This record gives sequence, C-alpha cells and structure tokens, in this order.
Amino acid sequence: MSFEQFIFYVLAAIAIISGLMMITVKNPVKAALWLVLAFISTAGLWIMAQAEFLGLVLILVYVGAVMVLFLFVVMMLDINMAILKEGFTRYLPIGALAAIAIFALMYMVVGPEHFGLDKIAAPAAKPADYSNTTEIAIPLYTEHAYAFILAAVLLLVGIVAAIALTLRRRPSGTVLYQNIEKQNRTEKSERLEMVKMDAVVEQPAAEDKEEEKK
Amino acid sequence: MNFVIPSFAPAIPEITLLILASLILVADTFWSKRFQNATYYATQASLLVAGYLVLSSFSVEQVFTFNDSFVRDSFADVLKLFTVAITLGIFLFAREYLVQHRFMSGEFFVLGLFGVLGMFVMISANNFITMYLGLEIMSLAMYAMIALRKYDGVAVEAGMKYFVLGALATGMLLYGFSMIYGATGTITFPEMKAVIASGEADGIVLAFGVVFVVIGLAFKMGAVPFHMWMPDVYHGSPTAVTLYLGTAPKLAGFAMVYRLLYEAMPGLVGDWQQLIIIISILSMVIGSIVAIAQDNLKRMLAYSGIGHVGFLLLGVIAATDDGFSAAMFFIIVYAITGVAGFGMITALSRTGFEFDRVADFKGLNAKNPWLALMMLIVMFSMAGIPPFVGFWAKIVVIEEVVKAGFTWIAVIAVITAVISAFYYLRVVKSMYFDKSEIQGPVEIISPALHWGVSFVAILLLALGLLPGSLIDLCYLSI
Amino acid sequence: MLHEILTVILLAPLVGAMIAGLFGRQIGRAGAHYSTIAGVAISAVLSFYVFWLYVFQGATEYNAALYTWMVSDGINFQIGFMIDKLSATMMLVVTFVSLMVHIYTIGYMDHDEDYSHDNPYYQRFFSYISLFTFSMLSLVMANNFLQLFFGWEAVGLVSYLLIGFYMKRESAIQANLKAFLVNRVGDFGFILGIAVVFVYFGTMDYKEFFAQLTTQKDVMIEIIPGVEWSMITVMLILLFIGAMGKSAQMPLHVWLPESMEGPTPISALIHAATMVTAGIFMVARLSPAYELSEVALSVVLITGALTAFLMGLLGLIQNDIKRVVAYSTLSQLGYMTAALGASAYAAGMFHVLTHAFFKALLFLAAGSVIIAMHHIQDIRQMGGLKKYMPITYWSMLIGSLALIGFPGFSGFFSKDSILLSLQATDRFGADFAFILLMMGVFVTAFYSFRMFFIVFHGEESEYVKTHKIKESPLVVTIPLILLAIPALLMGLPMIEPMLNGSYFAEAIVIKPENDTMMWVYNNYFHGALDMIIHSFVTLPVILALSGVALAWFMYIKQPNIPGKLKQMCPRGHYVLENAYGFDRLNEIVFVNGTRKLGQFFTRWVDVKLIDTGMVTNTFMAIAHSANGLRRTQTGYMYHYAFVMIFGLLGMLIWVLW
Repeated sequence: MSFEQFIFYVLAAIAIISGLMMITVKNPVKAALWLVLAFISTAGLWIMAQAEFLGLVLILVYVGAVMVLFLFVVMMLDINMAILKEGFTRYLPIGALAAIAIFALMYMVVGPEHFGLDKIAAPAAKPADYSNTTEIAIPLYTEHAYAFILAAVLLLVGIVAAIALTLRRRPSGTVLYQNIEKQNRTEKSERLEMVKMDAVVEQPAAEDKEEEKK
Repeated sequence: MNFVIPSFAPAIPEITLLILASLILVADTFWSKRFQNATYYATQASLLVAGYLVLSSFSVEQVFTFNDSFVRDSFADVLKLFTVAITLGIFLFAREYLVQHRFMSGEFFVLGLFGVLGMFVMISANNFITMYLGLEIMSLAMYAMIALRKYDGVAVEAGMKYFVLGALATGMLLYGFSMIYGATGTITFPEMKAVIASGEADGIVLAFGVVFVVIGLAFKMGAVPFHMWMPDVYHGSPTAVTLYLGTAPKLAGFAMVYRLLYEAMPGLVGDWQQLIIIISILSMVIGSIVAIAQDNLKRMLAYSGIGHVGFLLLGVIAATDDGFSAAMFFIIVYAITGVAGFGMITALSRTGFEFDRVADFKGLNAKNPWLALMMLIVMFSMAGIPPFVGFWAKIVVIEEVVKAGFTWIAVIAVITAVISAFYYLRVVKSMYFDKSEIQGPVEIISPALHWGVSFVAILLLALGLLPGSLIDLCYLSI
Repeated sequence: MLHEILTVILLAPLVGAMIAGLFGRQIGRAGAHYSTIAGVAISAVLSFYVFWLYVFQGATEYNAALYTWMVSDGINFQIGFMIDKLSATMMLVVTFVSLMVHIYTIGYMDHDEDYSHDNPYYQRFFSYISLFTFSMLSLVMANNFLQLFFGWEAVGLVSYLLIGFYMKRESAIQANLKAFLVNRVGDFGFILGIAVVFVYFGTMDYKEFFAQLTTQKDVMIEIIPGVEWSMITVMLILLFIGAMGKSAQMPLHVWLPESMEGPTPISALIHAATMVTAGIFMVARLSPAYELSEVALSVVLITGALTAFLMGLLGLIQNDIKRVVAYSTLSQLGYMTAALGASAYAAGMFHVLTHAFFKALLFLAAGSVIIAMHHIQDIRQMGGLKKYMPITYWSMLIGSLALIGFPGFSGFFSKDSILLSLQATDRFGADFAFILLMMGVFVTAFYSFRMFFIVFHGEESEYVKTHKIKESPLVVTIPLILLAIPALLMGLPMIEPMLNGSYFAEAIVIKPENDTMMWVYNNYFHGALDMIIHSFVTLPVILALSGVALAWFMYIKQPNIPGKLKQMCPRGHYVLENAYGFDRLNEIVFVNGTRKLGQFFTRWVDVKLIDTGMVTNTFMAIAHSANGLRRTQTGYMYHYAFVMIFGLLGMLIWVLW
C-alpha cells in the first residue's frame, strides 16, 4: 500500500464515519459539525484526484460560508431533534436492510468490475504548472455559457422564492399606531353607545366536521 | 482556444422571456401597491410575446446552438406553444382565485413565468446539464408557489413534502446522469446516442444509470411508486397552484421523457422499456382504483392524473416515432383537460369556500345547468367517452401499444379505463341526481371565467369531433 | 358548388328539426312550423335543381366525402354523398312529399284531445317529421354502408317515436313497440349483411364494394360445417332480411298495419311514401351485387309476390279507413319487391315513385275524411260524403284509379311494366309470382273501390246525418291537389326512359341476359299512348275493371251480399280476420317464448351470475382494494421516501438480474 493509498483510505473512512455520525447524533449543533468534517475530508479526496480548485472551493464555500450560516440558524432555533427522530429505531432494521441491498447492488456496478483500472486507465499526473482554475474557467464561460446563465437564473428564482416565502409584509392600513393627542381628545359619545336589546340565548354551534384528509 | 460565439437566434423566445420576467420582477415591487393587476397583465403580455416569437420562427429543421446544449425543432416548438397557451389559461383562472382568497401577489405570476422559462429550457435541452437546470428552475418556482400562502399550514406542508421528496428524486436523477456520463463520456444527447449505438459503453453501468434516470422521470411525472407526493401536494396547494402544477409542467415532463429516453438512449430501449411497462401498469391500476375512495375532487384528480400518466407511458412503451407522437397528443389533451377540470374548481371557488369536494358539486344541474353540462363534458372527456377528445387521446396510445405487440398491456389499460369511468361518472351523478347541500346560487363570479370554462370545455368537444389536425400536428412533429 | 348544395339539402331539415325540437316552447307553434317548413322547402327546391341537373342535364355521377369521422385500421368512417339519377330522384320524392306533409300537418294537428294546448306536442311533431326528412335524405344520399345504416336506424327511430306519438293510448304504445321489435329482427339481418361486406370486402364504400364484386363473386363460406354457401348469396339474403323489415315484406310485415296508430300525416309520409320504400331503394342501389346471385333474386321475387297477393286479400275485410290503405301499401310494396326479384329494378323504383305520390295522396285524403269525421276512422260510420267534400272526393278518386292501374294514370305504367317484366323472366318462381300478382290486381281494385264506394257513395250513416260534415281547410286541400297532379300525370313521360333503361342508366346495373325491361321494351312497347289504348284488351286492366265493377255491385247495388258471403264461408272470413294468424303465431312462439327465456336469464344468469357474482363482487373487490390502498397514503413524508427507496431497489433488482 503506497502512501497515497493510505491517505485515501483514511480520508474516505473519516468521510463515511462523519456522515454516519451526522445523521445519528442527537444534538443538531454536533450534527452540523460532523457535516463540516465530512466536507473537509471530501475536499481532501478531491485534491488527491488533482481537482485542487474544487476542493478549495468546497472548503471555502460550504465549510466557510454555508455551514457557518447553518450553524447560526440551528443555534438560534430551538429544534428538538429527539422528536424528529422518533421512529428511527422502529424503521432501522428494514431501513438498514434496504440500505445494504442497495449498497450491494451499487458495489456490483460501481465496483472494480466495471470501473477498475483495467477498464478505465488512471489519468496521467499533471505537470506542476497545470492550472485547474483555467481548465474549469474556459469551458465554463465558453462552451457551457448557456448552462452557466441558467444556473444564475436558478439562483435568482431561489432568491425570489426565499424572499417570497419569508418576507412578512403587513398590508398597509392594518398596522396600528398610537395617536396620543387623539386619545386625549376623545369623548364619551365617540366610544360609547347604549343599545336596548332583548335577552338572547345563544345556541352552541355544531362543530364542523373535520374533512377527511387521507 | 478557438471559440465561436454561438447563434442566439434559436433561443430568442427564452432570452426574451428571461428579460421580461426579470423586468416584471423588479417592476412588480414598484407598481404592485398602486396597480393591483399590472403584474398580471404584464405576465400575460410576456407570455403572448414569447408565444409569438416561437410561432414566428417556427422551426421544422433541427437547429442546435450554444455548443449543442440547446436544440430547436418542431417538437419543441409545438410543445412550447401549448405550454404558453395553457399557462395563459392558468393565469386567467388563477387571478380571480388569488383575489378571492386574499393572497394576490406579484410573486405568483413572476414565479409562474420563471417556471415557464424552466419548461422552455427543458423542452429545448440537448444535454444533461441544461435538462437538469431547466428542471430545477421549474421545480423551484413550483415549490415556492405551493407554499406562497405562508399562513396556510396545509399548503406549507405540501410545499415542504414536495421539496424534500423532489430533492431526493433529483438526487437520483443526477446520480443516473453521472453513471451514464461515466459510461459514455459525453453529456450531449446525439453523441450519447452514437456512443451507445457503437456498443463501446459498459452495458451494466448504463442499465444502472437508466434505472435512476427513469426514477427521476417517474417522480416528476407522478408515476407509481414515485407518485406519493401527488395527492398530498395537489390537495394541499391552493387550487390556483394545483391548476398550474397539474397541467403545464406535464408537457415539459413529457419533453424530458422524450429527450432522455428516445433522443439520447434509444439504444437502451431493452432496459427502460421494461421499467416503463411496470411503472405504467402500476400507475394505471393504482390511479384508477384509489381515486374511487376520494371525497376531495382535487385529490381525485391527482389520482386521475396518476392514471393518465400510466396511459401516457403506453405511448412511450411502444418506443417508436408514432408511439411518442401518440403520447404527445395524449399529454397535450390531458393538459387541456386539466385546465378545464382544475379551472372549473378554481373558478367556482370563493372567499372562504374552496369548492373542491365532490359533495360540493351535488345538485349543480338544478342550480346552474350550463356549468353542470360543462363539468359533464370535462368528466366524460377524462373518462375517455366519445365524442370528446379524451377518447381519441386514449385510443391513439392504446393503438400504438398494440402495434408494438403489447396487446396484454392494452387490455389492462382498457380495464383500468373502465374502472376509472366509475369515479368520473360519480361526479356526474352527484351533479344531476343529488340534492344540493349549498345554500344560495352556485355561479362563477367573473363572467370572463365563465366564458373561459365554457371555452375550454367546448374545445374538448370540438377537438373530439375534429381531432385530425391536432393528431396530425403531433405525428408530424416527431 | 354541387357539394355545398348537397350539404344544404341534407342539413336544412336537421336545422329545422333542431330549432323546433330544442326551442319549441320559445318559438311557439307558428315558429315551429315556419322553421321546419322553411328547412324542408329549401331542401325540396334544391333537390329539384339536383334532379333537373341529373335527369335532364345528364350530369355525371357525384361521389365525395363530406366529413371523415375516423379512420380505424384502414377503414374510413365517413359521411359522404353518392348522387346519381337514382338518389336524385329519391331526394326529390322525399323532400316533395315531406313538404306536402309538413303543410298538411298544420291543419291536421291543429288541436288534439290528448294534450292540453300549452303542451308543445305540436312543435315536437314538426321536429320529428323534419328529423325524419333529414334521416331519409342521409339514407338515400349515402355513399357507404355505414351512413346507409345510420339513416336506416334513424328513420326507424323517428318512425317509432311517431307511431307512439299519441303516447297516452295503450294501442299506440303497443304498436310502436311492435314496429320497433319487428324492425330489430330485420336490422339484425341487415347488420349481419353489412358485417359480411366488411369482412370479405374490407370496405364500407359502395364504389369500392362494387369494384371488388367480380373478384369476390365465387367465394364460398361455411356457416354450418360441411355445407358451403356462396358468400354473395348469404350476404344478399341477409341484407334483404333488413329490407323485409323496413319494407314490411312477409313475415316481417306485421308492424305496418298497426303503425296506423300514428297520426295520419305520418302514415302518409313514413309508412307509405318514403321510409317503407327504403328496402326497395337499398336493393336497387346494390343491383350490381344482386345481379350476381340467382338464388337471392328468387327469394326476393317469391317473397314480394306472396306479400302482394296475401296482404291484398286482407284489405278486403278491413273497416278502418287507414287500415285499408295500409294493406294496399303492403300489397304494393310486394309488387315493388317482386319487380326487383325479376331484375326489373327500374320498374320497382318506378313503382316506388308513382306509389309515393298516389299513396301519399290517398293517405292525406283519408286524413282529410278523418278530420271531417272528427277523428272517426270506421268506414261503416261514413257514407255519402261526396257532396260534402268534393276536393277530397276527387283526389281520393285519382289516387284510387292510380292505385288500381287504370290506364293513363301513373300507377298503370309502373304496375304494367312490373307485370310485363315478370312475364319476361324465367327465373325460378317467376310463373308462380306472375299468377299471384295478376290476382293481386283484381283484389286491389276490389278493396280500393269497396272503401271508396262505402265512404263516398253509400247511404249516409247516422253519424253523417246528425253531424255537420264540411270540407277540410286549405292547408289540407292544397297538398291534396299538388299531390294529385303527379299521381295523375307522371307516368306518361317516364315510361319510355324507364323501360329502355335510359332513365337510371348507370345507376342500376343489370346483366344483359337478365334485362327483362329491355326485352319488354323491344317486344311490346310502341309508345306510351299506344300502351294505354292497347291496354284495354290486356288481362291486368280487365281484371282491375272487373274488380271495380264487382265492388260497385256488392256495396252499392246489392249491399246485402257481403253479409251473406260472410255467413256462407265463416272459416275464410276467420282466417282473414286474424290476418293468417301471424299475430297469434308471434304471440305464442316469439312473445311467450322470449318472455320465458328472458325470465330464465333474468333470474339465473343476470341476477345470480352477473349481478351478484360478477358485478357486485368485482365492485366490492375494487372498493376494498381502494380503501386498502388509500391507507398507504399516510401523509408522512418518510413513508413516501421509503416507498421511493423500495421502488428504486425493486427496479435495480429487476434490471440487474
């Protein structure tokens, strides 16, 4: 086993373990931190595959920005993860069975039988001055310009959606302000009206039947 | 590095639509306070412009641009035109509903317009990336539209469910894409077809990828067993949004099926055909049987939509040009019928009253015979009773699947069609033979919607009497 | 241009029917009759133009599709026109008689005891007769079997509705049910015949069908194993069974006398002039096929001759004025059918035309008498009406003379050409048929004038003496006069082209060796006037005149003879009274047998096996599974995700294994 292989297995093991921990720990903050670890080890794997730019971007964007923001949200909201995970143990056996079955099938296909070195040769190592960034940038802005713009549109729609769903705009006129001067000048006739009424016994209203949902 | 600037001309409708949508997005923030309907009219105008641009540059040849990531052909143009026409109808019905239910907002129309842009992109996609991006633009717009009434718990729940399950399905779709890319080494459809045809790609990996792709497609179309979101989402969404969800995206979804399975992977027909057969039969059976037990019309129509997807897939099973043409005719007819059906509920709904239970339609004939007649046409068309166009839609796909040698599937299809006739006729029976439970008159508030509903319903009859031109259009465009 | 004209001819009555039928209450009585009459009048005028174009200008045959409903498996289902001299003539007859009947109806249906005045029965009636005109036109204009069948069934439907128009009378309901059921028997044969066409020729189109006849004529089929039949013969006999139902040939004739329960205008239009001739028209239209089977033609010939004679005999003892005319219709239909059987299609059609006019005339005149008698139809209560109703009298006389074939009247030419062609043919059964038809001439003359003398010349009955009898209004008498003209005159100019085959020309195809009419033309015919003069020494006219004379003797001169005759041979009278027992036979064998069979099927097959066993259980199974399956829709998102994952798993296993 070469040193490279050793590093690969270490990083891969960390990624898998931290992924498992992320979905099993009870505390949401801890889960987020495990996710950060999973990202970091994945970034390491990418760098080993000579995709340095992507690896760095993963750390900068996901770990540096997205996850920090996410942690803020998690810490500010008081989410009780224990309740969300109710039923977890109940479905664990069958879920695990399905997971194992799918893993077995995936291993059959994605494993060395079809993607081994004899099938697809390992790419030659790139020279030291090889620029990952240029290699990504040129097709991104030429060949895939259309897709690039579409991705921008997708983000725009995401922004619109997020704002539309979270912005709580009060309709004008429903917001009440206190007008002290007006309050002081008010008179009895403006507020009070005497009405003569017969005594009415109110019938309890029949409860509306809840509509069947399922 | 030699780079030639690609021709923008084929994509003019998309470009214009994007510009107009962005302008409306910005303008809406300024004018929404003063002019309540400005965004609505601007949206409809943009759709008309986009439709006109498609029509004026109608393309009979296949034209590629943007380094083969965009394709323009008559298939795309026909579907885009119907998308525009159907969306025009949707917005027409939706506006009154939004006003009645107090959540009239420009975002609905802007998101709807972006959704249409996503559909356009999907219809014209020529590689995995653009297909995926178009799908996401459309889906994201729809997620947001469902939950737009943010104080309505049911709607938010529906949006959430759709979002999470949609993410799962998209994940599978992307996984499938990456497998196929791994096996073929290309993302553009024509090249992929060539590589698969050459037999150099690894068959097992391709088959593996195809499973994931088919699942992604099945989820988007709402086919069993990836249909579970549909009843909840259709039911939970405000009816105006259900109207949107249940019609126009189906056309784009069909385009996705066509591009991926038939343009990119005809060589893998042995793999996907079997999967589609299973999905199709399950959809027809589950769709027709479970709908019987529904009391809510939107939910019933969701199951009916599942059953219809099963029928649509009959044309896909045939895996021929004619089969896809039949499916195209079917899906166009279904979208029009959907506009009529959901449009009827949308139009009848009033402030504080959704009018979406089957029981609400009881005794409609006594209160409003004209509307009852229109609803009868819609139900009969959905059930596939001649002379309404739904009959032709069913018969062409069944004919194609029989031609392809799958007579037994056709037999199942016909049996499920008979079963499904039960619940359509139950609505008719409620309208004509039961006593109304509603006090006061039942009518559509806005006369424009009254005529709109009547127009679409009568269109179903007219197309049923003269189906030739639409069928020919579909057969010529593939 | 022709195409548009034809479309208008076909659709104008339909539009009229829709206006009167759907908006009857809104437009009122006058609106209903004006709109329908306008529709039919447009059709009639344009039909006349088409007739002129074809018969006088000799336009070439027109065959085109109007509308294709669908194409399934290479078979076109369409509405189309095949217009030649045959259909052009029929169109004229149908629209003209229909127009006359429309006008006449204004007077006849004016008031009705069965309905209150605000009931829109009047509008409904007009809607029906216009609808009938549309259906009949689509039948005669058809260029394919499907449209023929549509028209065939549509006229049957309207006929059913109209026979039962007085729906509060038990007898009317019985009659229309009977008509419907008997026609069902005929239609069963008819549709089987069309099915044979469809299976062996693979087309519904007349032209394509005719084109394939030569290649298909020797095909044999085995219906009962071991016995081979000519496919063409089987097909033609099946189609003829349809014609027997519609044109009331024995033994499917039983409905026509009872159809007289309907209003008289309808009896004139549907049950005398047009619908009942549909069978004759169909056979003539398919003449290229019928020419290929001697067997089928013999069947047609013998059926027709039997009907002509036996039904005529029944006319002798009828006392209902309309029934007398109805039995004469049956008898005349027999003549037409016999003519077809002798390959004298043109003679048969000729008789259809002349009969349409004089029989419509007779019916409308009978209707006029009925109006005057305040809806009493028994001729024994009439008598001496001549002086009260001169116009009706004269038109009835013209109609009766045309019916018995008095020389010079239209019926004379058509009937004589039938008899002469029968003489000319040597087909199996021709001699027998000829004798029957000759006796039929005598019988026809006798019963027609029996009725005529009793009604108009006999002693005035109590009723006539005590009530005020007056001539009917103009809307009634004008159609009578207009119909009397063709009944009187139309034979003279038409006889020569009919006989030498130039009238229908290519519309009717006859094998040269079967062309009996041409033979008659060459050997006997020396001009129409010569035919009239010569006829006074021929057997048919002598027989007819002696029939009239006998009627005069028995009912005017010695009115006590009939009663004595009845006493002398009660058995013969009994047989005739019961119409040879056809009704009894039907009741015992078919009605009771069917009822028993029906009860068996209801009790065991329908209720037990189908309803409970199959329908209810299927429904329960589906309902149960629906309820079970809906439970899977739990509303929990992770359940949904789970289902998706399992779907994925299942599919992966399916594909990879």
